[in-house]
This record gives sequence, structure tokens and C-alpha cells, in this order.
Amino acid sequence: MRILVVEDEPDLQRVVAAALREADYAVDTADDGEEGLYKAQTWDYDAIVLDVMLPKRDGWSLLAALREAKTTPVLMLTARDAVNDRVRGLDLGADDYLVKPFELSELTARLRALIRRSKGQPRPVIDIGEVRIDTASKSVTIRGVPVALTAKEYSLLEILTLHRGVLVTRTMIYDHLFDENDESLSNLVDVYVSNIRRKLGHDLITTRRGHGYIIED
Amino acid sequence: MIRSLRWRLQLWHALLLWAVLTVFGGMVYFLQWQTRLQQIDVELDRTAEVLASRVRRLMPPPPFGRPPFDGPRSVTAGNTAIEAVDANDRSPPAQTPGERAPGPREGEHRPPWDRPRFPGDRRPPGPPDPQGEGRPPHRPPYHDLHGPPPPRHAGENPPWGIPMWIDDIVRRFREPGGPSSDAPGLELPEEFAELFDGPPDRRMHFLIWDRDGKVLEKSASAPDLPYPGLHFGNNELPVRLIRQREHWREIVLAGRFDTNVLVGRSLQHDVVMLHRFGGILTLAAVGVLGVGLVGGWWFTGRAIRPLAAMTRTAESISVQSLSQRIDVAETDSELGQLAVVLNRTFDRLQASFERQVRFTGDASHELRTPVAVMLAQIELSLSRPRSEQDYRDAMGTCLRASQRMKSLIESLLVLARLDAGAAELVVESISLDQLINEVVELIAPLAEQRRITIAMDLLPVTVMGDRQRLSQVVTNLLTNAVRYNKEEGRIDVVLRDEADSAVVTIHDTGIGIAPEHLPHIFDRFYRVDPARSRSEGSSGLGLAICQSLVAAHHGILSATSTLGEGTTMELRLPKSSTTVVSH
Repeated sequence: MRILVVEDEPDLQRVVAAALREADYAVDTADDGEEGLYKAQTWDYDAIVLDVMLPKRDGWSLLAALREAKTTPVLMLTARDAVNDRVRGLDLGADDYLVKPFELSELTARLRALIRRSKGQPRPVIDIGEVRIDTASKSVTIRGVPVALTAKEYSLLEILTLHRGVLVTRTMIYDHLFDENDESLSNLVDVYVSNIRRKLGHDLITTRRGHGYIIED
Repeated sequence: MIRSLRWRLQLWHALLLWAVLTVFGGMVYFLQWQTRLQQIDVELDRTAEVLASRVRRLMPPPPFGRPPFDGPRSVTAGNTAIEAVDANDRSPPAQTPGERAPGPREGEHRPPWDRPRFPGDRRPPGPPDPQGEGRPPHRPPYHDLHGPPPPRHAGENPPWGIPMWIDDIVRRFREPGGPSSDAPGLELPEEFAELFDGPPDRRMHFLIWDRDGKVLEKSASAPDLPYPGLHFGNNELPVRLIRQREHWREIVLAGRFDTNVLVGRSLQHDVVMLHRFGGILTLAAVGVLGVGLVGGWWFTGRAIRPLAAMTRTAESISVQSLSQRIDVAETDSELGQLAVVLNRTFDRLQASFERQVRFTGDASHELRTPVAVMLAQIELSLSRPRSEQDYRDAMGTCLRASQRMKSLIESLLVLARLDAGAAELVVESISLDQLINEVVELIAPLAEQRRITIAMDLLPVTVMGDRQRLSQVVTNLLTNAVRYNKEEGRIDVVLRDEADSAVVTIHDTGIGIAPEHLPHIFDRFYRVDPARSRSEGSSGLGLAICQSLVAAHHGILSATSTLGEGTTMELRLPKSSTTVVSH
């Protein structure tokens, strides 16, 4: 899962990015509205955390420009809690709203919910055959027995699960697993897939050679 | 309820109306009665005149040479005489013709001047002494001059040859149109007679008597009452007397001749009519009072309706609906003016309230970001065990956020004190050029970083003020001049000495301020570029605080700017110490 944080207050940006990375997200950051809009239009983020008060281009204008092309879920952060501010943000296409100061746990929970909903998966628990994936606790069980997955392995499994029935290309997986600063090689994806198969069985993930991977619905 | 304006107005209205109605009603009632009495008097007067003229026509004139009047007759004597006669004449007035009235007794019908004029008059009765003192000379009787004397009965001539005319008249009265056809009776016209013949509560009566008080005639309608006080006063002068006895109105014509006439009329009917009139008047007054009260109630209701509307509007104005205003329909009326004044007050209240709300919102907004930083940082640090370096970084982040909050809170406090007029200025004599020099020394390192040159042109000027506060103002202005300047820019600081003020101008070659922002730069939390200034640690309160401080010194802080070329701040401080007031 890859998330863009657009925040001009450097301390807050750093803390939020660190917290999201600890929650096993790949995190990109932007310091102003122009940079944020560029990144948001360039990459397919799973969610965007957007501050309202930004230099160069404020959050509302960024959102309006973004919505012309993309449906990426957007969570807006603002220091203003006036009702009409919230209404304006939601009307412009924001998916959720959080007023500063906020709890990090609430921010991550809202982001999880946003991502789940955007993939058409309102329930936090997904069952695929004997495998059960709990997106809230980020845990996986097979026939009720917990399976230990690394963060990247879980993220890959979650991406494939949320897109199940749909072919997911290696590039897509790579874009969602690693942030802009990650220099990892794309064949790491194959390593993660083989690890998951080893732990959860070979039938779960089907390889479409030359295209990518798919979990059959 | 009773204390409401409407009720009070109504009460006063009722009292006033009642008083006016009472006074006017009473006057109308009184005037009506007086008019009626006057009408009656005129009627009585006319009747009396007619009667008197009739009687005069019947009467032989009194003999000439009457003795002069020498003193009023005793009232008692007159009354007694009349009453005595009255008692004699209580017989029914309708006497059969021909029946003689009781004849005058011997000695009773002496000429008046022969009778005793007062008790104890010892003059011997008899013909007047022609040569007596004060006695007029004897003259021939009226009849000798004006035709034949009336027939008289033998033996009735007084000894001095004057006809017994009184007796004659009595006879004629008693026998109107009677057997002595040679003598005209008291022939009253028909319609005249009817006056004395009506119902007893409104008919007239008359009474004729002679100078001795002897009743010569009276109408059948005359009330059966004694007639006291029929004295004639000065016989030389005619007397016309109007009086009221019980319910009779009477007019007395006396003293003209030897016959006196009284015409009276019962007022009973008029009193009844008057009472009826009074009743109608009262009913009308009650009606007017009722209509007046109802109308007054309606009218006061109409008059205070705008007040009620204003009350409703004013009541409904609350935090949620501050923009409501009283409907001003008639601006010319007093109520309209009140509404206008109230609306202006509401405008000021609303502006003040909105300013307060905005200020609170801005202040909380400024506090939210550092609090968010601290909260997120601490939560992240505590979520799992960290290395010592992580903790140090977290502490550093929290420290920066805390420092930002501290400076913000201090700025807010300064503003709050200045707003409340509670900022304590330590007023002393300050050498302004020296103060500017000190500040420029402090700022110099910051300016050198950006290779900005600071040029000074300072005249020595002394002002009264708070050294620390003024230093704060100049520091803030100079910091802005450095911060918003171009690299290798220039700052000109000029101190001029004008007539009554010291003027500091700080001109920079910076980015300038756009015209749409210029009017707002002294507003609290106003930022030309919010993100840029925030990242540079500005709270958006610096210039607002500067202006408040300068205002506390009774000075003026103003700005002119050209976008892209630079900004000039002008600080104008009064020199005379009297204008600086320590709060």
C-alpha cells in the first residue's frame, strides 16, 4: 500500500510519514501543493493525506485538479474545524476529514477504511478458500492457524486480495509496495510471491507469465 | 400587565376622557338649565307685562301729589297686610257676578299718605294739609283732566273728593265683564288664558295686589301659598324682581303703579325635563367614554405594534442569527429612528462578535498545528520501544512545537492586554535614534546572511514612551524588512524630526505587498502568503501587535508598498509627553 502525505509543516510531515511507514505503508511526501499534485497525478496511490493550508496551491485546489483525472481516496487534514470548511472539502471530492490535532491511531484506521472501501471491500475480514485475511489487524490465518508474514509479504497478499479476480501487473505491485525512495529491484516481487506460496499453499496465487499475478475469485 | 405601556396609556386616557366629559357635561347641563330658566323668565316677563298693561288700562291713575316717599315700609307690615288680605280672600275665586266683594271697611281705604307710615305715627288722619310741609299742592284728580270720572257708588267718595278707585278696580277685577258694563274687565285673550290653565306642573299663575299689599286678583292656578316679602322698595322706581320659591319661578313687577303684578310658573315639569336631559347626557357621555376607550385601546395597540415587532426581532437576535435586523419602515418617526439606532448597534455588535469569533478561530488554528505535531510525535514514540536517538529526535520535535506555542501564547497575551488597555507602559524619555541604532546592531547579523545593507539617516529625537515596547516595534519592522527583502537588497532607515512628532521610515527593496493585501496587513493572523510565513516561524500577529503598541503610544503606524519593488513602513510618534498616557 502506498500513500502520499502532502503537508508543509516539516515536523508533522516527518512524524506522519514515520508513523505510516511503521504501519507497513510505502509513503511518499510532498511539501507544497504543486509537488503534491504532480506526484498524485503521476502515481497511483492507494490514499493521499492532504493538508489544506499549503504553499503555492492549497489543498482544495489540489483536490479539485486531482479529481479531474483520478479517484484516489483523499483524507484531508486541517486545523479548521468550521463546518463549512469540512463541507467544502467533502463536496470537492475528499473522502474523509480529520481535524488537527489528531491521534495517529485514528489517522491509520481511517486510512485503512478508506483503502478498503475504495477497493470495494467494506468488510475488514476477507476469506479466500481456507485463507482468512484480517486487514484491520494485518494478520493471516489458514484453517484458523496464524501464519507469520513479513510486512512486504502481507502487503503483496493484500494488494492481490483486494484486486482478486483481476490481473495485477508486476509494475502495479512494485508501485504499491515501494515508495519513491526505495531502490529495490523489481524481482523482489517474485521473491515475495514465492514466500507467500510457501506459507499459504501454491494454489492461492496464479502466475500469468509475462503479465503478472492474480488471485482467482 | 397593568404596568405595561398600553395599560398605562389606557388608564390615563380614561381618566382624561372622564374628566373632560364630566366638566363639559356639567357645563352643558348647567347651561341648559340656565337657558330654560331664561326662556321661562322671558315668558313670565312678557306675560307680566301684558298683565300689567291690562291692569294699567283698567286703572285710574293715582292721584297727583302723592306724598314723597319717606322711608321703606316695614316688610313685616306689608307681609301682614297681604297675608291678612289673603286670608280674607280664600273664598273660591269664581264668584257669581253681581255679588259684591266685601266692601272696604270704614277707615281702611284711606289714601296711602294718610295711613300710619310706621308704628306709632301720631299724625291725625285727615285730608292733607295743602300748606303742610313737603306736601304737594292739591291738584285736580286725573279724571278731571281726562274725561268723566268713573261712576262710583254713593257714599263711597272719600271726604276729600278723590274717588275710591281702589275699590273700583277691585270690583272690576271681581266682575270681569260683569254687570258694570261701563267698566272694562281684565279681559285676557284666549291663548293668554290658556297659559294659566295647563297641567299643574307647568302652568302659570298670576297675582295682582295693590300697594297696600291687598290682593286684587289672582289666577285659579296660583299656588295656595303665602306670599311673603311683597314689598316694593322705593316706590319711585319700578321694581322688577325674579325669584324662585320652592319649585315656582316668579317675576314681580312692582312700584310702577299702585298695582303690582306677580306672574309665576311651576318648574316641576322643567325639572323633570332637565333630569331627563341629564340622563341622556350621561348616556351620551358613557357612550363617548366607551368609544373613546375602545378607540384608545386600538390606537395604543397600533402605536406600540412596531415596539412589539422590535422586541421580537431583538429577542430573536442571537449568536446564530446576528444578521437579523429590525424592519425600518418609517425612518422619520421616533420609533423608526430608534430602530435605526438599534440596527447600528446590532451592526457594531455583529462586527465585534465576528471579529472575536475569527480571532478565536485563528488563534486556535495557530495552536492546532504544534499540538498536532506533539501529539503525533509522542504517540509514535510511545507505540514501541525506540533507540535513544529516536527519543532525542522526538524530544527535539516536541521542543520546537512547544516553543512555537509559547511565542504564540505570549503574542496573544500581549494583544489581549493591549486590547483591555491593561498593558503597562513604562514611560520614560527615550532617545529614538539611539534605540534604532541598538536594534539595527541586533538585526545586522541576520541582514548579513542575506547580504542586505542597512543605511541609516537618523536625527537625534527624544520621545516619551516605553523603551522595551518601542524597541519591540522597531525590531519587528526591521525583521520584516530583512525577511521579505531580496538577496543583496537594501534597507533605508530614516528618522525625521517634525513639528510635534518623530517619524521613522523603514524602506526595503523587497517583494512588496499587493494592493489587495495592503489594507489587511495589520489584521490579526493575516498573512499575505500563509504557508511561506508560517514556515518561517511567523504567527501572523507581529504587525498587529506593533500597531497596538504604537496606538498605545498615541502614534500612527502605516504602510505603503509597490509589489515587486519594496515596502515603506512609517512610524509616527508624538514628541510631547502629555499625549503619552500610561495605561
